[in-house]
Amino acid sequence: MKKYIIQSVLICVGIVLAFPLFSTLYYTMVRTSTPGFCASCHEIKPAVRAWGASTHVNNAAGVMVDCMDCHLPAPQDTFDFFFSKTYHGIKDVAIHFFGDAYDRDKSRNAAYEFFDNDQCQKCHRNLLSMPHSRGAMLAHRSVMHARPGYEKRCVDCHYDLVHEDKTSVMFRQYRKQPYQAKGLRVEKLGI
Amino acid sequence: MRRKAPWMRVWMMTMIFLMMSGFQVASAQQPNFSKVKEYRIERSVPPEAVACIECHRAKTPGVFADWAKSRHANANITCMDCHLVQPGDEDIAKGHETYYNRSDMPYGEAKYKVPIASIVTPKDCSRCHPDEVIQYSKSKHANTLEIIWKIDPWLNKGMNSDNERKTGCFNCHGTVISIDDKGAIDPATWPNAGVGRINIDGSKGACTSCHTRHRFSVAEARMPEACDQCHLGPDHPQIEIFEESKHGTMYHAYKDEYNFNAAGGTWTAGVDYRAPTCAACHMSGSGKVTTSHDVTERLSWETQAPLTIRPSEFKAFPAQTQWQAEREKMKNICRQCHGDSWINDFYKGFDTSVQEYNDVYFKPAKAKLDELYEKGLLDSTKFFDEHLELQFYELWHYEGRRARMGSMMMAPDYAWWHGFYECKPRLNEFMEEADHVIETGQKAYIYPDYPNATGTTKRPEKLFPEGK
Repeated sequence: MKKYIIQSVLICVGIVLAFPLFSTLYYTMVRTSTPGFCASCHEIKPAVRAWGASTHVNNAAGVMVDCMDCHLPAPQDTFDFFFSKTYHGIKDVAIHFFGDAYDRDKSRNAAYEFFDNDQCQKCHRNLLSMPHSRGAMLAHRSVMHARPGYEKRCVDCHYDLVHEDKTSVMFRQYRKQPYQAKGLRVEKLGI
Repeated sequence: MRRKAPWMRVWMMTMIFLMMSGFQVASAQQPNFSKVKEYRIERSVPPEAVACIECHRAKTPGVFADWAKSRHANANITCMDCHLVQPGDEDIAKGHETYYNRSDMPYGEAKYKVPIASIVTPKDCSRCHPDEVIQYSKSKHANTLEIIWKIDPWLNKGMNSDNERKTGCFNCHGTVISIDDKGAIDPATWPNAGVGRINIDGSKGACTSCHTRHRFSVAEARMPEACDQCHLGPDHPQIEIFEESKHGTMYHAYKDEYNFNAAGGTWTAGVDYRAPTCAACHMSGSGKVTTSHDVTERLSWETQAPLTIRPSEFKAFPAQTQWQAEREKMKNICRQCHGDSWINDFYKGFDTSVQEYNDVYFKPAKAKLDELYEKGLLDSTKFFDEHLELQFYELWHYEGRRARMGSMMMAPDYAWWHGFYECKPRLNEFMEEADHVIETGQKAYIYPDYPNATGTTKRPEKLFPEGK
């Protein structure tokens, strides 16, 4: 009987100690996962501003795609997610204080290399049957069933989607012309 | 002689009258063309694209009819899918936008207005055909303008005029497209569908060189005629060589039976074609070898270079290939119709031609030329302005190439009469003249006022950025 009491007390103490710990961690995660938090670094502000004007924010479905949805591994890969987030957080702060001046183009290219197709395909899964994007069928097949040596990332073609500096907000439903990827980035052509 | 019955006469007259009137009606309806090609919008096409099609059907009927017969039209790919650009892009055809406020045109309304570019580039094509563009970008085709600017004395020494280049060199090698502030393409750089054209978006080449607009036909590119606009003449007579070869003879005899429209990746030797065309060996898949849009991938010698070298050793554009692997690929293609001993013995002949050209003809001439420059008997400021320079150039660039290429593609007349046969007197005369200059110590005569040597010697900045 005495044994059970000790166990119960230990469990209660554990809960009392762990709950604030976990909730603090969780709270921290939530607080540091917003576009607003990302924009608290002045280097990132232009990227967040462009994102805010893009169709990944403004669309008829009301879906908003946050920084993390694209730039970090899917939360179901919990370890990768936490590791990546922490790594990038520390790295960005370190470079801010000790690194070279921020070069947006350089960082942009570095970010492309970090993009897994899975990150886009969390949402964009039905890529092979889009009756109004005729070219997409051929191009997407060459990505989803890539020939050996011709593997491609989504961002190889879709590199002008979000972080394009705009003078006005772009609403997806008011696009006057259909969205088209511009084709492979010149860097991807090996020239 | 019996007189014809009167009813017979009447009947014949009636027939003649009917036939004549029939012809008259037909000729009144169709002065030049057979029936105009119809187009009914029966599929989901955006209204802006309908405007493109309907207007161009009237204004440029050839473009429309071509497109209407293309696989693109079959797949509902319209003008807009390739020509559309984003607002603010540098290459927007601003002149075209004025058509959208013309009340005299049926679709001249602002609501149809979309920004378009006249020039569609490989980068645009890569939106649907990325692998083909990746392969093409690695080829000598795509990089040919950079190559000639690195090695060619006509350009680097300014020995011809800008217009001689535009209408000659750059027609095949490609121009560096430039667009002014008003959105007009610089006429010195356009029109052009050169394989190495440098486009505004940074991509290289023009898919329309081989798949001409607006059919973009795979069948066309499989025919040798697709290549012969550029690959002909005294310096690279590949088409003449092909025509003379057994492959060419068989092509002409049997091309009516060829199935040029086979789906990509299924064009098969012995089934769809009897003897190969240029594309069949250099690009198409065969057996285990897969198709490549890198047309120079399967080469094992640079037969165009002054000294024959391996493609990976070609300094102006070292290929990222291994010649042994590439030769094996080419042999695999030969094996569709030839046995191993046939293939290997053929290559022995080709390799010997290359080695003999290098050692017997080119190297002695090059050594002599270097000696002349070293002794100051030839002037190195310009090229082509001294007879010996021209002799040397023609030795490797004319008959030297014909000898090697003729051996490679089995055209006896080009290997011998237009090739090695002409190398002999050329080398003899070059040597005689050079030795005479050396013996007398008198500097070679320089042609004064070299004609029309007015072209710029400044390398295009887009290809050779400052400081690189």
